[in-house]
Order: sequence, then C-alpha cells, then structure tokens
Amino acid sequence: MLRLSPLTSMKALSLPPQVQADGGGPRFWKSLEEWSHSPDFLPYLHQEFPEFVSEWDNGMSRRRFLKLMAASLALAGLTGCSRQPQEKIVPYVRRPEEIIPGKPLYYATSFSHRGYGKGVLVRTEMGRPIKIEGNPDHPASLGATDIFMQASILGLYDPDRSQTIRQGKDISTWNALTQFVGSRIEAHEQDQGAGLFLLMGQTTSPTLVDQFQRLRERLPKSRWCFYEPAAPVRAQSISGNDVEPSYDLSKADIIVSLDADFLFDGPGNLILTKAFAKKRRDPAADFNRLYVIESAPSITGAKADVRWQHKPSEVIAFTQQLAAELLQGVPAASPALGKLADDLRQHRGKSVIIAGDYQPEIVHNLAFQLNQALGNVGATVTYREAPRHPVPTIQLPDFVAELKAGAASTLLIAGVNPIYDLPAALGFPEALAHVANSMHLGLYDDETGSRCQWHVPEAHYLETWGDIIAIDGTPSVIQPVIEPLYPDVASLMEVISLFVDLPPKKGYDLVHDYWLRNLAADSPVAWDQSLNKGVVVEFSSPALPPAPVVGVRDAPSPDPLKASDLEILIRPDSAVDDGRFANNAWLQELPRPLTKLTWDNVAMLSLNTAKSMGVTTGDVIRLEAAGQSVEAPVWVQPGHADGCVSVTLGYGRSQVGEVANGVGFNAALLRSSVGEWSRMLDGAQATGARRELASTQHHFSMEGRDLIQIETLAAYKIDPNKAQEVKPNPEPRENLYPPFEYKNYAWAMSIDLNTCVGCNACVVACQSENNIPVVGKDQVIKGREMHWIRIDRYFEGEPEDPAMHFQPVACMQCEDAPCEVVCPVGATVHTSEGLNDMVYNRCVGTRYCSNNCPYKVRRFNFLEYSDVKHPTLALQKNPDVTVRSRGVMEKCTYCVQRIESARIDAQKEMRPIRDGEIVTACQAACPAEAIVFGNINDPTSRVSRLKALPRNYGLLADLNTHPRTTYLAKITNPPSAA
Amino acid sequence: MRTTPTSELEPLLPPGVTDDSISERISGIVVKRKMGLGWIGGFAIAFSLLMMFNYAIAVLFAYGVGIWGIQIPVAWGFAIVNFVWWVGIGHAGTFISAVLYLCHQEWRTSINRFTESMTLFAVACAGIFPLIHLGRPWLFYYLFPYPNTMGLWPQFRSPLIWDMFAVTTYAIVSVVFYFVGLLPDLATLRDRSPHRWQRVIYGLLALGWRGAGRQWSRYKMAYLIMAGLATPLVVSVHSIVSLDFAVGIVPGWHTTIMPFYFVAAALQSGFAMGLILIIPVRHFYHLKDIITGRHLANMAKLLLATSLIVGHGYFTDTFMSWYSADPYDKFIVADKFSGAYAIGGWMLMILDVGVPQLIWIRAVRQSPVALFVIAILANVGLWLDHFILVVQSLHSDYLPSEWRMFYGTKWDWMTLFGSFGLFLTLFFVFIRIFPMVAMSEMRGLVHKKPGETKEQGA
Amino acid sequence: MAQLFPPSVDLYAKIVILGVGVLLLAGTCSFYLLNRSPYWTNVGVTLDQPVPFSHQHHAGELGIDCRFCHTSVATSSYAGMPDTQTCMTCHSQIWKDAPMLAPVRQSYAENKPIRWNTVNEMPGYVYFNHSIHINKGVGCSSCHGRVDKMPITWKATDMTMGWCLSCHRHPENQLRPLSEVYQMDWTAPTDPHTGQDWVVQRNVQKDHLTDCSACHR
Repeated sequence: MLRLSPLTSMKALSLPPQVQADGGGPRFWKSLEEWSHSPDFLPYLHQEFPEFVSEWDNGMSRRRFLKLMAASLALAGLTGCSRQPQEKIVPYVRRPEEIIPGKPLYYATSFSHRGYGKGVLVRTEMGRPIKIEGNPDHPASLGATDIFMQASILGLYDPDRSQTIRQGKDISTWNALTQFVGSRIEAHEQDQGAGLFLLMGQTTSPTLVDQFQRLRERLPKSRWCFYEPAAPVRAQSISGNDVEPSYDLSKADIIVSLDADFLFDGPGNLILTKAFAKKRRDPAADFNRLYVIESAPSITGAKADVRWQHKPSEVIAFTQQLAAELLQGVPAASPALGKLADDLRQHRGKSVIIAGDYQPEIVHNLAFQLNQALGNVGATVTYREAPRHPVPTIQLPDFVAELKAGAASTLLIAGVNPIYDLPAALGFPEALAHVANSMHLGLYDDETGSRCQWHVPEAHYLETWGDIIAIDGTPSVIQPVIEPLYPDVASLMEVISLFVDLPPKKGYDLVHDYWLRNLAADSPVAWDQSLNKGVVVEFSSPALPPAPVVGVRDAPSPDPLKASDLEILIRPDSAVDDGRFANNAWLQELPRPLTKLTWDNVAMLSLNTAKSMGVTTGDVIRLEAAGQSVEAPVWVQPGHADGCVSVTLGYGRSQVGEVANGVGFNAALLRSSVGEWSRMLDGAQATGARRELASTQHHFSMEGRDLIQIETLAAYKIDPNKAQEVKPNPEPRENLYPPFEYKNYAWAMSIDLNTCVGCNACVVACQSENNIPVVGKDQVIKGREMHWIRIDRYFEGEPEDPAMHFQPVACMQCEDAPCEVVCPVGATVHTSEGLNDMVYNRCVGTRYCSNNCPYKVRRFNFLEYSDVKHPTLALQKNPDVTVRSRGVMEKCTYCVQRIESARIDAQKEMRPIRDGEIVTACQAACPAEAIVFGNINDPTSRVSRLKALPRNYGLLADLNTHPRTTYLAKITNPPSAA
Repeated sequence: MRTTPTSELEPLLPPGVTDDSISERISGIVVKRKMGLGWIGGFAIAFSLLMMFNYAIAVLFAYGVGIWGIQIPVAWGFAIVNFVWWVGIGHAGTFISAVLYLCHQEWRTSINRFTESMTLFAVACAGIFPLIHLGRPWLFYYLFPYPNTMGLWPQFRSPLIWDMFAVTTYAIVSVVFYFVGLLPDLATLRDRSPHRWQRVIYGLLALGWRGAGRQWSRYKMAYLIMAGLATPLVVSVHSIVSLDFAVGIVPGWHTTIMPFYFVAAALQSGFAMGLILIIPVRHFYHLKDIITGRHLANMAKLLLATSLIVGHGYFTDTFMSWYSADPYDKFIVADKFSGAYAIGGWMLMILDVGVPQLIWIRAVRQSPVALFVIAILANVGLWLDHFILVVQSLHSDYLPSEWRMFYGTKWDWMTLFGSFGLFLTLFFVFIRIFPMVAMSEMRGLVHKKPGETKEQGA
Repeated sequence: MAQLFPPSVDLYAKIVILGVGVLLLAGTCSFYLLNRSPYWTNVGVTLDQPVPFSHQHHAGELGIDCRFCHTSVATSSYAGMPDTQTCMTCHSQIWKDAPMLAPVRQSYAENKPIRWNTVNEMPGYVYFNHSIHINKGVGCSSCHGRVDKMPITWKATDMTMGWCLSCHRHPENQLRPLSEVYQMDWTAPTDPHTGQDWVVQRNVQKDHLTDCSACHR
C-alpha cells in the first residue's frame, strides 16, 4: 500500500497505450495526446497518485485527518508487511520505429523570447519532453541555456494553462471559432478590414511576416500593433533605418556598461556571456576589464572590476560627461571619470561601450558616438539592420485611442496581456469595452482573456510549429516535440491563418510551405536538415548586413531632475521577466541573483535612502507615480544607488494561476507609457504595514573566512604560486578510517569563480534534470528550499558600495565525507569512484548527515513536497531519477544518472568513458563554461588540468574533507593605481 | 505546603517504628487509602497533557516532521533536546539506587523507589523521541541489525546506532532492576491487601515470594549484582548519547569534554527532578518522618555538587574554544553569549549553575519550598542547555550563507509539554499501585542499632 | 492466612514465562521465512494474463529467439514488450481465428493495447538495465529461469536485493560466453577460473557493481 516508488508508475506512464501511425509529422508526437485522452489515462493517475498521500496544503478536515491518520498509522505499522500492488505492462499496438523504450530522443527547436529566438535541444522520453538543453549549432545559444529556456519546459505542463476555447462563459469548439471568424471576415470584406484590429507581442517569425503581408492584401485597411512590456529601447535616431548594435566581446579589452545587464538580459545574453568569460578564463592570456555604471545592482555589476552606482538621471549625466571629455576634450569632471577616459583612449578599437537596453535614446546615441570616436565600430561593435519583423501599421497609443473611438468591430489580442501590463494612463480596459467582437489568444485565460468574448488557448512552443530569428539574424524552425496536451490549442499563425487563408491552414503547412518557397534548390532535403540542425541551413550568420550609418540625429535630452528628487527605476524581473513566466513555480522560487529573494517583487532601496525614509526591509511603502500607487515591501540592498527606488515588473497578477495569483505588486502601473524605464516618483511613504519576505540567504558577509579567494590580476601575475590571497589546499591529514582507493574513475568538478556570472541557469537546469520539487513561500521562509545547487552571494567592503561575489555550491562529494560516518542506516555511502551516494529508499530521515555537512548542501523532504496533485506535472519528471517522498534526505549526485548511462554505453563498447562524455546538467547549462566535470584519475582530463592551476582551492579544505569539487580563485582586474 | 524548616541531622527513621508500622503505613497508602481528590485532579491534568501528546504525534505522522520548526541548517530541534533531557533525568535514579547502594548510603533507602520509578518513566519519555523524530518513522527497524533480504546491516560507525543500543540496554536493565527491588514489597502488598483481587494480582507479580531465608539471601545477592550491572550504565549511557554530538564536526559539538559534562548534567537534572517529585509527595502523603529533611538536604547537596561540575564543564568548553584558536568554534562560543541566542546562553548559566549555589546556605537547604523552586529552575536551565547546544551550534556553523534562525512551532511545544503528561501520568499511577518507599529495605534499617547507621550525609 | 494459589500455579507460571519467550522466537522466525516465501516474492506464482501466452511453445518448441519479441533487450534498459503488431506478423497467417487470440486481434483492430500483468516487477527506485547484463554475458535464464519450459510465465527468482548482490559481489559465477546468452539450457563451466577470466576480459568493474548508485539513483 505504501508507494515509495512513484517512478514505478513513471515507467508505466511512459508506455503510452496507443500510438497511431498517420501522416502529418513524425508519428510519435501522437502518443501522448492519444493516450491522455484514452480511457486508460485516469486509472493510471489514480494508481499513480494514491489518494492518501499527505501534502501540506490549506488546513485539514476532520475526515481528511482521520484518513491521513489511518494512512500514517498503517505506514507506521504495516509497511513491513505490504506487498507491491500488481502492475500492468502496456506495450504499443504498433511501436513507432524511432522509439526504443528507455532511450531518450533529442529534437532541435527554438525558444522565442521578446520576439527573438534561442536554439534548444529537447530531451524526450517516450514522447514526453522532460529537459531543455542548449543547441550548440544555434548562434544565439552555442549550447548554453538561460533560466527562461530551462524553465520553459515546466510552462508546457503548467496545470493552470488554459485548455479549451471559450466563448462568453461557455466552452466552445474550433469549428464554432472558425465560423465566427468567417462571419467577421465577411463583415470586414465590406469595410476592407477597417474595423479589424490586431494587438500582439513582438515577433520576427518570417512566416508571420509573410502572413501579415497577405493580410494586408486581403484586408488593406486592417490595423495591427506590436508591443512588449519589456521591449529594449531602440536607438532609432542613430540612422535612418532600424539598426541594432551587435557586440564582439572576444575582441574587447575594456568593456563599459552604461547600465547594461548584458550578461543576464536580452536575446544575446548567452553569446555575450560566453565571449566575456572567454577573456576572463586565463589570467596569463589577455584579460578584459569591466566598468559598470548602474543604479540597481545586476549580475553584470557584480562582475565589474570598477563599479559606480548612480541614480538613473545621473547615469545620463555620467555618460554626457564621458562623451564631453572624449569627444570635445572637456577635462574630466571627476578623477574616476578621467581614469576611465584614459583607459578607453589607450584601448582604441579594443574597447566597447554598451548602452543599457532600458536607457533613454540619448545614452544610446552617445554610446554610438563614443564607439565611433574610439574606433570600435567595425571592430568590437557593428551596427546591423534589425531582423525583419511585421511592421506595425499604427502605434500603441493611437491604437488604444482608435479602440476608444469605437473604430474597432473586431479585435484580436494575441500573446500579450494589455489589461495587466499597459500603463493605466492609456485606459485600455475602457478601450476594450468599446469593442464589439474581441478575441484573445494566450497560454492562460488571463486578466485580458477573461475580458474578451472569445478566448483561444495558445499552443506552447514545444507543441507547435513556427519559426523565429535569432539576434544575429539566423532563422530557425520551431518544431513541436509533443502533440498538444489539449486538442483545442492553436498557435498565433494558425489563428492569423483563419483571417488570411481559405481554408485555414495548420501550423505545419504554413511553416513548411513558407520555407519550401524560400529555400533554394532541393528544398525538402534542406528542410529536413534545418529541422535536424535547429537552424535554417542556408542562412548562415551573420545574415544581416552592416547598416550604413547615416549620422546621428540629436535625441531629446531628458528634462533635468533636482538632486533631491526620488527617482524610480523599473526593470523586468530577474526571474519572472515581464510576468509571462509568473506562473512558473521554478522561476518563482528561484533566488534572485543579488537579493536571494523568492516569491516576491520588492521596492529596492539603498541603505542611506532607506534610513532617510525611516524604513527597513519588510516595511510596506506606498509608491506613487503616473497617477497610480502601489504598495510594495521594502528591500534594503547593498550596492544600490542612493536617491532612487527600483522595482520589477511581472508581479501582482490576478488571473493567471495557482502559483502567481496575488503574489507581489504590479509595477507596470507606475509607468506613464510602455518603455518608460525610469521616472520621477511622485511620492513614497511608509504605510506602517509589514510583509514577510522569503530570502534564501540571510547573512551577507564572509565573516573573514576565506570562502571565496580573490586576487588582483596584477598581484597574480607577479607570481601565481606566491599569490598572497590564494591559499593552496592543505596536505591530507591522518584519518581514523582507512583511505579509499579509486581504481577506475575518480569523478570531480571544478568551478571557476572568475567566469561564473551568477546567472542561475545551473540552478534551474538542476531542478529540471533531478525532479527537484518546489516548496512554496512559507517553506522557503522556514528555510527548506530544495535546490541541489545554490549560488552563495557575498558582499565585501562598505555596505553602501560593496564588491559582490558569487559562489555556486553543490555537494562537494568529499573524499572523507562527514555525512557518511554518521548515517545509522548507511543511506549515504562512498562509492568506488569517490561519489557520495544518497540512497533515498534506505533513508529513514535522521537528518544527522545534514547537521554534519559543513557545506549544508543537503536538502530534506520535511513534508510531501513532490507535487502529486497535478497529473500533468508528473509528465515532466525525469524517469532516470527517483521522485523523493516525504522524510527523505537528498542532495546533488553529480548527475549520477548521466554518469551511469555514459558508463553503460562505454562498457557495451568495451572502452573507457571519454573525457567530456559526461556533462552534468549544471555544466551543460552554464553559458560561461565555469563548471567542468570529469575524471581526475586521468591527468590529461580537462578537470585535472584545471585542478593543477595555482588558482585551484577547496572550500573549507582545512576541515580535511577533501572535497572533489574545487574552485578556481577569482581574479579581479582593476586599473592600476598609478 | 507548610514551610517548617527541616533539620539535616534528623534520624533516618522516626522514633519507635517497628517492621509492622512501617509496612502498614506505606502499603496502606496503596491498598487501603481512598483516591483523594488531589490525586484525581493531578491525574486528570497529567492525562489531558498525555492526550495532547498523542494528538501532536498523530498529526506528526500524518504530515511529517515538517510541522516542527526544524530546517536546514538546524535539522535537529526539540525532539533531540527533549530526548537528551529526559534520558539525563533518568540517571539520578540509577545513581541513587545502584551507586549509593554499593556505597552503603542507608539514607537512600527511603527515596530510591521514587527515583527508580522516575528513571523508568523518564526513559519511557526519552525513548519516544528518537523514534518520532525520524523522517520516516515506520522504517525505524532499519536501525536494528536483523537478517534481511537486502543483505544490509546498519552502519555501525554511526553514533546513533551506539545510542540506540545504549538506551535500549539502559531501559531493559532499569526495568529488571526495578522489578527485582520490588519483589518483597509486592509480597507485602499481597499479604496486606483487603480484597482478594488485589491479593491475586500482587500475588502473581510477587512470583511466590514468601520471605524465606533462602529467598532473602538469593535476593540480596541478585540485587547486589543488578546494582553492580546498573552502576556502569550511569556513566556509559549519557556518555554515548553525548557522542551523537561529540562525533559531529559541528563547531560547539566537536569537543572531548562532552561525555564527562553530559553525565554531570544528567545527574544534576535527575537529582533536581527527584526533589521536584519527592517534596510534594512527602507533603501530601505525610511521609515527612520517613523522607526526612536530611534526605532532602543530601539530595540538594548532590544537586549542588553536580551543578559545580557542570559549571566547570562550561568553563572548560569556553576556555578550550579560545585556546584551540579554531575560528569556527571561537565564533560559536562567542555567539552563544552575544548572538541571537544570547539570552538562552546566559539564562542556562544562571539557572543550572548560578541558582543551585544558594544551596550553600543552610536555611535554603532546610526549606523544602526553596529546594523545590531551585530544582525546577535547575531543570529548566538544563533543558535550555541542551537547546542551546543543539540549536545554537547548528544555526551558524561553517558557511555564513546558510546561517538561519530556528523557531519552535506550536507542535514543538505540544510535544514537549505532552511528554510531561506521559511522565506524570505514569507517576500518578505508580503512587497508587506500588509502595513509594522500599518497605523491605526500611525494615532492614529498623533492625540496625543506632550506632550502625552511618551519620554522614551524601 | 489461606494460600492464594494452589501449588500447580508454579508450573503454569513457568510455562507462561517460557511460552512468551517461545512465542517471540517463533514470531521472528516465521516473519523471516514469510519474507522469503512465494507469498511474498511471487516466485513460481502464475498470473492470469489477457492472452495465455506460452513461452514454452514459442521459445521452447518453436525455438523463436528472445530478441524477436524483446527487441531492445541488448540495446536499452527495457527488454521491450512486443507490440500487438509483432504478434500479428505471424498470427495474421496462422491460428488467425483461434478464440484464444481474440484479444490480440481486437487490440490490433481497435488500436487498444493489451494490458499484461507484470511478472517481474522492480520497485521504482531500482534502475535495472537489461542491455548491460546481456552485453557482459549474463544469460536470460540466469534471472528468468527456463522460460522455455513455462506454459504460463512465472517469476523464477525472488529478485530481492540480497539476490542481486549475490551476483554483483561475485559476477564470475553468472557469466557465460557471449554466444550463449540467449541459450536457455546453458550450464556453468566447472572450472571457476573461466568466469574470473571473463570478468577481466570483459572489463567488468567489479568494485563498482556494489556501489549503491549502480542501481539506485
């Protein structure tokens, strides 16, 4: 009766009872869908999720309590005497040849975010996508992933996704929808589409571009508008045409970031991080220097060698002063500025100035002028035409105005949530009320959807056809890796097709036809290759020509602010972005890089500002701007600029799902226009209320313990081996127990603190690979988050303006592990290869191992954390990793499941495992390649060579634990004092 | 209760007692006396606490240890604190009944039954916690070395295994020792019970004891041997329990003084608990002439002595952490008196080392009320001591990134007070069904000429 | 006063005291045995199957190779259960109207899978991989017994962890020539060294076989 083995039925789950072979795409996509509708499905789930499983949710009825009691007492008594229930084997009727049960399949597709694509490889088990990896062949990924790509897999299985077409309050059908649209078209053929309005998010999908042209041909007067709540500011004024800078950091010795968080944010973050890390990896070779000017601390700021914090208006002033000095030769306003200017002069053509995506146009202009003056244009930065995208026929404010005027008889809102994220000033709700026929296409029947007559569930990108263009212009095809979980879902292009095609086409035909038309000779082959490779083969990057820059039009200089003014800074959230990921529990519980905060957005203040306002972390303050006010909990953040408050978008959702509803406050209300990223605050007072915030790290100082070893490049270059700061590992000391001998392999890991940018990608990757549960805000407050790898963040120096350091910490797999000796049942034991195995099914949960772990990397299932309430979530689980039940300890395993599958493959071929053949989930995700895993019994392996470096040291090595995971000391490169 | 100061040099026996009068009085309490309202009231309170205990544990089994305040890094909380505390309390009983017996301390005879019972009940309470603190209590048997189809043994290097053996042994020995000591008295009860059903029950328990010379000589020998066996346990059990901490590398746990200081603390809490139980009972059951002020004073002196040893333990611990120059250990000790748990750190010092110093004063020694209060405070102090040891040491160990505060939940407190319920319920039952004072041994005293009874204290 | 008990009570008392001990002992022993009995391990227990498939007939008498149906046994962790199509490859020709095979035809026609009762069941936390055992020369019959003699398939070995370990600790006792893996009637060589040689030749990581993570992840 006790099912300690959800995976038993995981296996059952992964044997879909029926598979239809018919045309239209590889057949195995069929499997899951067919099966999820088959009568066999529910019995499965009941057998899979026994009712009595005790989860810790709101309250408990008496009946429920008795039930639980019965269960738990039965557990207490009877487990010894419980036989496993009879299970079924459900083979295929016709096995598709691609599928070998127990063997994963990988498919290349593209994840699109704010209209740009990043290539991914999706691992599927028996037709279930379970893990996202980067696509090495894709120029915007190069094999790396970021948190959004990693977490998108959970979005697919989100139980809160909308599942049916809705008209008014009733569930409707695709046919009804088609007829409705048909009738609207007829109506619009009279007015040539004058009454047809479309509002949607940015896209670069070539097929869509094509569709919009056809739409224009068919209904010339129809109007459409695109907007992103977190769209970067484009320097329209740099040249006549629409131009985008692209940076080559691998050539840049000096990088100046004008409030640009280029390591984390934007469509190019992965390639930029890779290039940045490349010039940070080897102190012996050339080593870049990063200057950052920013208001709120970002991971880019944390990596800076020189960091200045200024409030938004001062960032502009700073830029103007820098420009004045370098362009007009006005003497430096400050010595610091002078030093920066000199540094830039000395590195003509080898420096780059990056203007932040959310900086006003003037900053972009000046950055461009500076780059040009410094001879960087063409060297480290090239200005290219932005990828082709459907050109809006009308700007957002006019669009809304038209709606208000009642010009729209039909409105389609697709993939955006204007009710939630448009500034109140625009008055969109009122505008929407004027529309007779409104349709909404979205993953969730959200704030906007619920106000439209029609709602159509949007297909997740993993279950639909499409195409998208990467930042460098490389197009790639989006192919589904699973049949839609819900039959009614549709992609944007399928809905648009309702308007332009007769009869409407399915996504596959739309995309396939478009590319067959646009690919050169032998298209079918090219098409297959494109699917296989994840990028459209014939368009090798850079697909976009450098744009002729026709000089600079002066950008309006912002009206000056008084130094006394309190400014507000608005940014997309570093976990839920603009709110599109709000219902993604992995991201909600992901500790933000610098605050380590989860499950909330906050009003961030500097220590001084907080003091002057008389508030402290947790106090709720009322912020007023743009005629709106929100109540936000204060977060006092070291390294934050004085005189400004920074808030993040994406919170305060009311109609999205169980996870995000009612969490945080909606910062978008404080904007007077989309794309207003900073402004004056009209007011900020403490309300006297307090809100409890869930942070995973409460102590910020290293207490003088050399946990993160830091060295300046200069000092290191003098003599790496005599570097004062970096302490070598102590010699192994006497041990009570006989030493282990490692005959075959000795697995180990090296983490480079120099290149690690603290972007969190590894954390989500690990969560996705290892079935790590989400515990919720209350449990995080208690201190029970489950992440196997965490990124410790420390501040050094003055709290007002500290240096910031990141240190990823997972199980160190100690050779003399303190946890092993104290476990009474031998549930955590040493292997012949030096791994520290955690045997869940043997663990009785004394938690002694965790107490005795000096790194505190062990995680305990204090309650039933693995979600057994939502069947769809079970589909995401990795069948190669046990789903842990309540009362069991768990921790990083070095992805032992990957080690074992690699071993088995190697053993079958009677050969040793090759170096680099095993890649842990965190390592695979890391865009900076900071994590390297391998066998230290092989002196030539990459990890051995890294561990031979003088920078190598073990965390708390003086405890004689001999950690297998060691770190490479952090090297900083500040300008010489002279 | 009345607070007439008591003398420390009263004779151990009231004048003019005979075998019969002793037996009559003591057995009378059990077999003749009616259930007083006082007893019923006390029992009611104790029993309702016990029910609360059951409820807390039921919820615990239903949901898991997550209902408690424990987290990472503080993965051990109240359960372990309570366990250590209760096991400690047991020790004094064994000390008094075994060690003092071997040392021919006659004064022990009138209180050893009390303290032995206390031992049993305390161990019963203690035994529950290691079980329920498990994440998966239904798999507790993984800790036992039994032949299984998995081909696995427990991991004998783990102190928890040693612990398991130590406590089990202790429980068994205590029970047997207790029962053996009880035999002649059971026979007395059998002979003096008015009702047949009482006689039958006691008769069965008495295992046919008829007080023959042969039985007596065997009995004496058996008792002596049992005492000999029990004596090492007084030292061994809590030393081994202390290894749960000493073996760990947690700063504040990893010290060699642990066993020594744990045993002292254990005895102290035991003597304190002894006083807490005896003082009211001797008052309500009018046993002041049998359990005399001298007994109390002796107990108090033992309490004082042990508190001094514990104090020495604290001093050494603090000194060594400074002397060791181990940054982590230094930090944790400094934090104990200046950090978030400083109040606890100072309170425990005052309560279990400071307050007992009052016993130096004769007047205090002679005032049952004062002793009663001191004993309670000392035990609170010792609970705090274990709490600080477990929680404060864990809450800020090696990596500052994982430092966290621990807060007990209502379930934590319910389990703590619930365990009092169990203890008191057992005790209330005990005073109704067994003689509170070892009659046979008292009779032994009667026959000693005054000169023979040693006049020295503890 | 009068005696409470007749002398015979002495005897009863002794019996009771002794009896308790005996009961405890007996209880322990029976539990020990129960755990190893077919009631618990299902060894030799036949299950009702939707189709009374006979390995004896197919594997034994007809001599069809294991891999004809269990296609992925040498390549994947799952041995692979034959899809209905596989059955129909033959049974669309022979025995095509046999009432016994009705469920198969139905499954094929209605595209509904046959739901077999699992005979050899592994707990979810055990990661058994068929392919590596096959490739290192552990024969089918070593674990599944003489399926070629089973009219209805039953579990041949108890498959407890102890049983797994007996081989993982001494793989040499269970290895065969790679050519003999699928032979049902293979018998181990008398010379113990041959096994040990195979362990070396096939580079079996003996010390890793007893690592927990070899089977539990």
